[in-house]
Amino acid sequence: MATITGVLARPTGYAGIWGWITTVDHKRIGVLYGVTAFIMLLIAGSEAGIMRAQLAQPDNTLVGPETFNRLFTMHATAMVFMVIMPLSASFFNFVVPLAIGARDVAFPRLNAFSYWVFLFGTLLMHVSFLVGQVPNAGWFSYANLTGTSYSPNAGLDFWALGLLILGISSVAAALNFLVTIVNMRCPGMTMMRMPVFIWMTLITSILLVLAFPVITVGLVELVMDRNFGTHFFDTAGGGDPILWQHLFWVFGHPEVYILILPPMGVVSEILPTFSRKPLFGYPVVVFSGIVIGFMSWAVWSHHMFTTGMGPTALTVFTITTMLIAVPTGVKIFNWIGTLWGGSVDLKTPMLFALGFISLFIIGGLSGVSHAVAPSDFQQQDTYYIVAHIHYVLFGGSIFGILAGIYYWFPKLTGRMLGEGLGKWNFWVTFVGMNLTFFPMHFVGLNGMPRRIYTYGEEFGWGLLNMLSSLGYVVLFIGMLLFVINLLNSLRNGRAAGHDPWDAPTLEWSISSPPPVYNFAEIPRVEGRDPYWTTKRRAEAEGQPLTAGEAHVDPDTIHMPSPSYWPVIIAAGITLIAAGLLTHYAVSFVGGIIAFLGTIGWSNEPASAPQSHH
Amino acid sequence: MFEVRDSLKPQVGPLTRFSSRIRSGGHYYRRFAKFAILAGVLLLLLACSTGKQSTWDPVGPVAERQLLLFNVLLWVMVAVFIIVEGVLVYAAIRYRRRPGQELPNQTHGNMTLEITWTIIPTILIMALGIWSVITIYEFDEPPASADILHVNVTGHQWWFEFEYEDAGGGKRIVTANELRVPVDRAVRLTLESDDVLHSFWIPKLAGKIDVVPTRTNHLWFQADSDKIDSLPATFYGQCAEFCGIAHALMKFRVRVLSQEGYDAWVRNYGPPPANTEQAKQGQRVFGNCVMCHSIDGENDSQAQASRKQAFLSGGALVPAPNLTDLRTRESLAAGLLDLNKETLKRWVRNPEDVKPGNYMKSRAAHLYGTGELSLSDSDLDAVVAYLLNLQ
Repeated sequence: MATITGVLARPTGYAGIWGWITTVDHKRIGVLYGVTAFIMLLIAGSEAGIMRAQLAQPDNTLVGPETFNRLFTMHATAMVFMVIMPLSASFFNFVVPLAIGARDVAFPRLNAFSYWVFLFGTLLMHVSFLVGQVPNAGWFSYANLTGTSYSPNAGLDFWALGLLILGISSVAAALNFLVTIVNMRCPGMTMMRMPVFIWMTLITSILLVLAFPVITVGLVELVMDRNFGTHFFDTAGGGDPILWQHLFWVFGHPEVYILILPPMGVVSEILPTFSRKPLFGYPVVVFSGIVIGFMSWAVWSHHMFTTGMGPTALTVFTITTMLIAVPTGVKIFNWIGTLWGGSVDLKTPMLFALGFISLFIIGGLSGVSHAVAPSDFQQQDTYYIVAHIHYVLFGGSIFGILAGIYYWFPKLTGRMLGEGLGKWNFWVTFVGMNLTFFPMHFVGLNGMPRRIYTYGEEFGWGLLNMLSSLGYVVLFIGMLLFVINLLNSLRNGRAAGHDPWDAPTLEWSISSPPPVYNFAEIPRVEGRDPYWTTKRRAEAEGQPLTAGEAHVDPDTIHMPSPSYWPVIIAAGITLIAAGLLTHYAVSFVGGIIAFLGTIGWSNEPASAPQSHH
Repeated sequence: MFEVRDSLKPQVGPLTRFSSRIRSGGHYYRRFAKFAILAGVLLLLLACSTGKQSTWDPVGPVAERQLLLFNVLLWVMVAVFIIVEGVLVYAAIRYRRRPGQELPNQTHGNMTLEITWTIIPTILIMALGIWSVITIYEFDEPPASADILHVNVTGHQWWFEFEYEDAGGGKRIVTANELRVPVDRAVRLTLESDDVLHSFWIPKLAGKIDVVPTRTNHLWFQADSDKIDSLPATFYGQCAEFCGIAHALMKFRVRVLSQEGYDAWVRNYGPPPANTEQAKQGQRVFGNCVMCHSIDGENDSQAQASRKQAFLSGGALVPAPNLTDLRTRESLAAGLLDLNKETLKRWVRNPEDVKPGNYMKSRAAHLYGTGELSLSDSDLDAVVAYLLNLQ
């Protein structure tokens, strides 16, 4: 055994590319997640641009049906699994240990493993573009169109295997944050003193751990149908296509909340900071999050209202879906309650947070109109739904994430993002977002179905589609401003100091960027908003406060050491999947790599004996 | 809106100089507000438009109730939107930080308020919910008293097939892409798919229902004469569930006829007579097509089933539209083209050009093996004449 671990000398140091590849530091892993996901955002956003160009006018011939089908499949798959989820994971990584007063996550190497599996899964799915066999059955890939009779090329194998790999990453990461949040909070931080973002991370992690096994079952069955001749979904062999829909949406609806709860947590951090007032009704915001998480398991069939479920099932899912609007509404009221009577500072993070709320209200309300089954019969699979999901996922998730980036960028880099450009970024994106997606409500009600690559002039959808496409251009410029701001601020941003926003949570009590070990001295908290308490006490006592006054010698802090094993095992697992697309020998090699890697990992102590931090 | 506080003013670089130019301009805000109002008015005008597939313009009881339900939800949503968004914007402006402002009152919540704003939406939601549930049950099936016309619908990649087991007087009719129904009569569809999922949707008559292989679904609708200007009237529908490469082009029509018009169609339904020399030639040419297309009207469900089997096992066959009453239809290629001599010729010459991805060219290798249609011009004219032979 020792020989296996001995093959690779333990990596030391943090310098250079190998420092990044072998890192187990949660802050660096957060950056890796963030950068990768942001690149994917640009790719998937460009795919949307091609679709908007195609749909800008009737009978357009920019792209044909096959290309269009590939575009909407990869756009949505990437946005859900490779953009919003990993961007949230980026926040989990960077913020959670800092905000609960911990030095790292519970399982630092598992954390690195999650990232590498995510990266390789993403790459595997995008290799499909290089071999010209791209997934083309939608991000939902409804059976039995996914069977080999109707989709003979390997596109759907790339899709299913890629998602299986991404699922491993998500479950590993979720377990990690679950354990971290439950076990690694600093002394005094009881559950009901945790920042709301930590609560939402916890709920999201529970949803992830419970939801991903369901889609995994579906995906394994799909891979078996396509590669080993089983008949789970193959109707000619007695399979049931509706089974896939149930598996997909039992996962898929909790997934919706997996995408929105973390940004809701972000917003719940930003509003109090920029209102200089604690979150209004903290327990209610937390419990409504828990209720949403719980109820998210009881609404999945509203995605299937038109499958012919019968009036009893329609009734049940209509009522449960309408009811989930209540805890969601309560959250919004509490956010407004936080602003009320506060000292509201409209800096860029706050603008994006307010943008989140105002757009999420629209998405939430239109959601009620298709919670009602008979009303949904006219809206299902039309652009009305496209409008709705973009209001909750772009207006909601992405605005929340942008708010979070503006908020925590100073902590991450020690520099402020440009405030003037930030406001331009916000307003242009806000206008572009509404111009793109608001007309879609109407074009949907005027009868335009989703996922069509062309439409006739005589249906009267041309003008609204043109508006949406122009809106995309504005939106694109808005996002471009963000990229410019980001790159510019990395080099020229104003120095942030440790606490630029007068924030209430622990991460702002240490220097920006934080040291590898985060807290020289593990903090002790006595209530919610601990750093406000500290600062105001110091203020009252007339003492100035500085960052990270350590009474501990940092050299005595032992941090987990870097490791090669996470990236090796991740590569092994990806090769196992790649073998199903090429030759089983590749799977075999991948299996051996993953197996040896696991042995190496288990024999490696968490910290090298002679290491310092 | 764009005020940048001195304390946070970024270091001056080329970009920040650019951005500082937009500072503190109230007129930008006003201009934006004007733009927003204008855009809103424009959108509302567009919303009222009644296109061919508009859900705003129902012509029967099912679509009408669905619109009523949506309209009530819509106005409740608009009211909630104005109130909540209004309070949000008001709070953000009213409580903006003033220079040198003291720490605001550190409230943590208000139980009465929070219980109130939980209970009010719950009541509102339940009231709408009860009405919704009543609607679900009320419109699940046509009224018991109705004289119902039953039609079986089969979804195919990428067209719909309609089978009337008893179209009138016990006559069985099989047709494709154009569903003919008499006005003021409840129509109950029994839907199944032959291959993958589809969804049957005619917005002006009824919301959609999925067409699922291995399952039987139902949908009913009725076209009311008092909402239709003149008969016959055509209503447009489209497959709404992604079903593969030609999904966007899987359209169909519902033609609402007067009772007399419907009866005449049923009476005349039958194979086209070949009563001219050219039509006789056409009938011979059509021998190339009968592997997939039926023209005898009746008893072709066996034929379709064996075509399906052949397709699934990789044979050069596929279930194709029944052409018995082609001459009485107004459209061609799943509602893509108006039917006439020219469009039918265009379709037969190169179906791929009209409806990319469809199976006709790839399955009929004996006709398109070289990439071009191998019929002579005279044969093409003949077969078109045969199919359009009206009498």
